[in-house]
Amino acid sequence: MKKAPVKTVLLALFSLMLLFPIYILFMSAFKQANELFVVSLWPEEFSFDNLRLVLNSKFLNSIKNSLFVSTTVTVVAMILHSMCGYALARLEFPGKKLIFTTIISTLMIPTTTILVPLFMVCKGLGIENSYAGLIIPAFFNAYGIFLFRQFYLDFPRELEEAAEVEGCGKVRLFVQIVLPLSKPMIVPLTIAFFLGTWNNYLWPLIINKREEYQTIQVYLANMVSGYSTPWNEVIATAAMSAVPVFFLFLLLQKQLKEGIKVTGIK
Amino acid sequence: MKKGNISKRKRREYLVAYAFILPDLIGLAVFVVIPIIYAFYISFFEWDFINEKVFVGAANYIRMWKDAGWWNAMLRTLKLTALYVPSLFCLSLFFAVLISTVKSKMGSFIKTSFLMPFAITSVIASTLWMFLYNEKRGYLNAVLKSLGFANQKFLGSNKQALVCVIVVLLWINLGYNMILFLSAIKDIPESYHEAATIDGANRWHIFRYITFPLIRQTSIFILVTTTIASFQVLDLIMVMTKGGPAKATEVGALYIYDRSFNMMEMGYGSALSVFLFLSLLVFSFVQMRATSEKEERI
Repeated sequence: MKKAPVKTVLLALFSLMLLFPIYILFMSAFKQANELFVVSLWPEEFSFDNLRLVLNSKFLNSIKNSLFVSTTVTVVAMILHSMCGYALARLEFPGKKLIFTTIISTLMIPTTTILVPLFMVCKGLGIENSYAGLIIPAFFNAYGIFLFRQFYLDFPRELEEAAEVEGCGKVRLFVQIVLPLSKPMIVPLTIAFFLGTWNNYLWPLIINKREEYQTIQVYLANMVSGYSTPWNEVIATAAMSAVPVFFLFLLLQKQLKEGIKVTGIK
Repeated sequence: MKKGNISKRKRREYLVAYAFILPDLIGLAVFVVIPIIYAFYISFFEWDFINEKVFVGAANYIRMWKDAGWWNAMLRTLKLTALYVPSLFCLSLFFAVLISTVKSKMGSFIKTSFLMPFAITSVIASTLWMFLYNEKRGYLNAVLKSLGFANQKFLGSNKQALVCVIVVLLWINLGYNMILFLSAIKDIPESYHEAATIDGANRWHIFRYITFPLIRQTSIFILVTTTIASFQVLDLIMVMTKGGPAKATEVGALYIYDRSFNMMEMGYGSALSVFLFLSLLVFSFVQMRATSEKEERI
């Protein structure tokens, strides 16, 4: 107990070090263009010029696209994976073991190694340069299925049995009784899927070349890909695009910390 | 009558189960399984995406075998893995152990701060760190200057660039892995520590003989997942350095990306993908094998 404060102070200092880049990001967003590279802890003159500059239609459109894509992916993925996980955990049917093994073995396939063929499959399906191309391939993630299955394996059987005695069918049972009680797994997985999709840069870059469907990550990355970088715009855009996720993060940080424990995935 | 009822109910259960599973099964087949099979198939062709595919047998694999650029890129991947995985592992474990002893409100603040960078996306992190690493006028150089050090080129130096990328990776992922360790540590019953303390064990002994063995599952999980992730680091590098300067950060995954999407060598890119996939498979198999052997010894 005697030594605790020293350790705590050191940890707090290190925490501030980790936070420092983020602080610089948000603080610099309020600096004037000519002051941007002046090293300081506070803008000499508080300015909204950069923010006004970046709040253009292209930026807002890409934020809208990212929100739409991430939300759709998350909602649909939750529905599909909870159904699949439930069936694998609680329903009896021929071929269960084989199906489960097949699903789990897809976990061995890292996404980056299938970028090329995945692109070709999507092109073949005619969903490149569209929302469908951005969204549909992102649903399918065996980890989500696996975690729902684990969750439902430990689910109290009594509830289902009671419902069945009352003549409740499997589908109704799932929708009305099981799903509402699945919050402990749905919440962390929602965070994981949303963050994962929001964060994704490579897939949107590859599958979509049309500006109208551009996501925020691609938009931001394009800003630094030229020969001269308009740093004041870049920093302001980066800060602005961090806001939605930070908001979510601060709102849900307890669930996030719990969620990492439960899901172990990003 | 009763028997008929049961089988009818069973049949309905089968039907519901298949209906529940089918969408995911089809999706995984189309968007994960078929692509990996397709990659294998395409790797025996030459294809620029515009003209007809030409069957070339194992030519792409022979070319890979002789492609010095590819092996250099894979070497950089291994270098990145060798630097990144142990440092992430040790740092997150170290901080998890430290933080687990902080009981005050401060503990919550520290945990949140560690996790904040994780809430930033990799593209935002990349642009932010490019700004901080700026050769002439960046914050990091300003700090170095005030401490009396010379200006550094960071991402512009072919000696430092890879390390600079690793620093950003650590910054992003430290908190996440720290929380994983932390929750494993929290699961260890308090009484173990108390008993050991009564027996006169010091802190190192407690860590070495109680904490570390008991969080082995988490350790294995983190080792395997970070290794696999480190083989796939691509977005940070694509935004920050594009493989430069002078190819200093051109890792295997980026080499594949360039071949496939910039040079339109789909066949060759697929062959490299298949190779990377198989080596990752072997790698994680060996890693799991090695760690489970250790398990038996203990």
